[in-house]
Amino acid sequence: MNILAIETTGAQASVALIDETGQVSLETSDQKMNHLQNLMPMVDMILSKRGLKIDDLTYIAVSEGPGSFTGIRIGVSSARALAQALGLQTIGVPTLKSFLYHVPDYKGVVCPIFDARRNQVYGGAYQWMDGQAEEFVPGDAYDLDELLGLLEQRFQSVSGQKEVTFFGDGIIPYRDQIEAWQQASPNNNMQVFFAADDIRLQKASSIARLALELCRSGNRKSLYDLKPVYMRKAEAERKLEGK
Amino acid sequence: MKNNQFITLGIESSCDETSASVVAEGRNALSNIIASQIKVHQVFGGVVPEIASRHHLDNINTVIDSALKEAEVTLDEVDLIGVTHGPGLVGALLIGLATAKAMAFACKKPLVGVHHIQGHISANYLEHKDLKPPFLALVVSGGHTNIVDVEGYQEYRVLGRTRDDAAGEAFDKVARVLGLGYPGGPMIDAAARKGNPHAVAFKRVYLEKDSLDFSFSGIKTGVLNYLNTQKLKGEAVSVEDTAASFQLAVMEVIVNKTIMAAENLKKDKIVMAGGVAANSLLRSMLKESCNKKGIALYYPSPILCTDNAAMIACAAYYKYQAGIEDDFYLDAYPNLAL
Repeated sequence: MNILAIETTGAQASVALIDETGQVSLETSDQKMNHLQNLMPMVDMILSKRGLKIDDLTYIAVSEGPGSFTGIRIGVSSARALAQALGLQTIGVPTLKSFLYHVPDYKGVVCPIFDARRNQVYGGAYQWMDGQAEEFVPGDAYDLDELLGLLEQRFQSVSGQKEVTFFGDGIIPYRDQIEAWQQASPNNNMQVFFAADDIRLQKASSIARLALELCRSGNRKSLYDLKPVYMRKAEAERKLEGK
Repeated sequence: MKNNQFITLGIESSCDETSASVVAEGRNALSNIIASQIKVHQVFGGVVPEIASRHHLDNINTVIDSALKEAEVTLDEVDLIGVTHGPGLVGALLIGLATAKAMAFACKKPLVGVHHIQGHISANYLEHKDLKPPFLALVVSGGHTNIVDVEGYQEYRVLGRTRDDAAGEAFDKVARVLGLGYPGGPMIDAAARKGNPHAVAFKRVYLEKDSLDFSFSGIKTGVLNYLNTQKLKGEAVSVEDTAASFQLAVMEVIVNKTIMAAENLKKDKIVMAGGVAANSLLRSMLKESCNKKGIALYYPSPILCTDNAAMIACAAYYKYQAGIEDDFYLDAYPNLAL
């Protein structure tokens, strides 16, 4: 079994291959926001590095969002077209949850946040529980304060060590606010960390690892059921509804 | 190849139509599926790029399936994939492009990026089997107003272009202020049929003497000023008369410049293309002028005037025949030059 995983929801595109043993290879673009141009050449590159042909692929997995709307669409449309041409099933991988697979041995809570501007983020929180990837706060579009409030609430019901590491491009604009939140928190034994640069952002290798899990649990679907997960309506629609 | 015929799959998603088509031997459209988003954008009074992109993604795979099915062609039998790579809305373009690239890569088919305007001009090759360059092309649509010297299948020289709004854009804006709704072209065309085109004398903008360029932003302002003046005077406005007068003012300029260009270059053929080429007044005025001058006039049927993938497949076929092929780094160019 060979799953191709596509990640184009962030600034840097990447592709990965994973087989049934969990062996992963990763190819990352060295250019930012050039996903449309680079994606297929990257797929070509990773296949030849692994000594595989396109017909050796078994499933096409894609990071379904949230993230850049345009980026999500490049990934989903490419994945669908590959599946359509090769007659394969697809796997839609939740982008936020994939961050847990950046740190497979981590005991704390992983909280990815993507900057959605105007003090909003796409975010969620996840943790490993007995080797299972569990949701701590559901992934959604939040006001930053709202998300931090939900984290706080969840931590109040947890005994013992309380530790959270933030990931994603939202760290940069919101770091100060998050630190202020920690200082004001009644959970005085709560520890807050920020992911190091090299594991901060989306990665196709984590998409591939979560895809393998999803595949094993039967979460495969026809390309026609593979949908982008924007988590937010288009601006024009929101304005129209607000009238 | 199917029945010994070269098969091209065309994909178009530059604005608000998602389209796929199968064309045999470059000129014979076996299918031409168009998923229009007009109704989706109507409530917004125009095309909303983010919403257009979302709908392209929703529709594209089933549109391609339908095009193959209707043509009774399998992906294996496709010899070439052609796709619009500009100009257009970047978010919309990239849905067609990402899809075409992934398909061509997976099926190991050659890939050709097509200029949207070359596609519009090529719609005439599908309609008129004997038509060949050289000719003069008039391309008028929601996004473009161009007079183009077409010397060969790959030789295009833009002689005139709009300096501000495209003709179709001016129609959309005027239709909005007249309360006729979206899309403006057909709405104004219909209202104008019931009006007097000489009721209001809107200024014809010819720019410098001998210029083949256009400017339509002034006439839009002219219509607005006229409406305001009438309102201040407390006089009623006839929507039909205003639409008819506006339409005549625009079309007169387009026709005169096109005929002038044809005469200057001694062209005996004029080819119309683009959404506004479906406008009844433009067709009849240009026909009359061409008849007087002994110029042959060609235009596609209305369905081939709108954005469609058959025209893209046709243009891709001729590019490929000329030895042009793109690699998988092909990108979207929102302002691609002809």
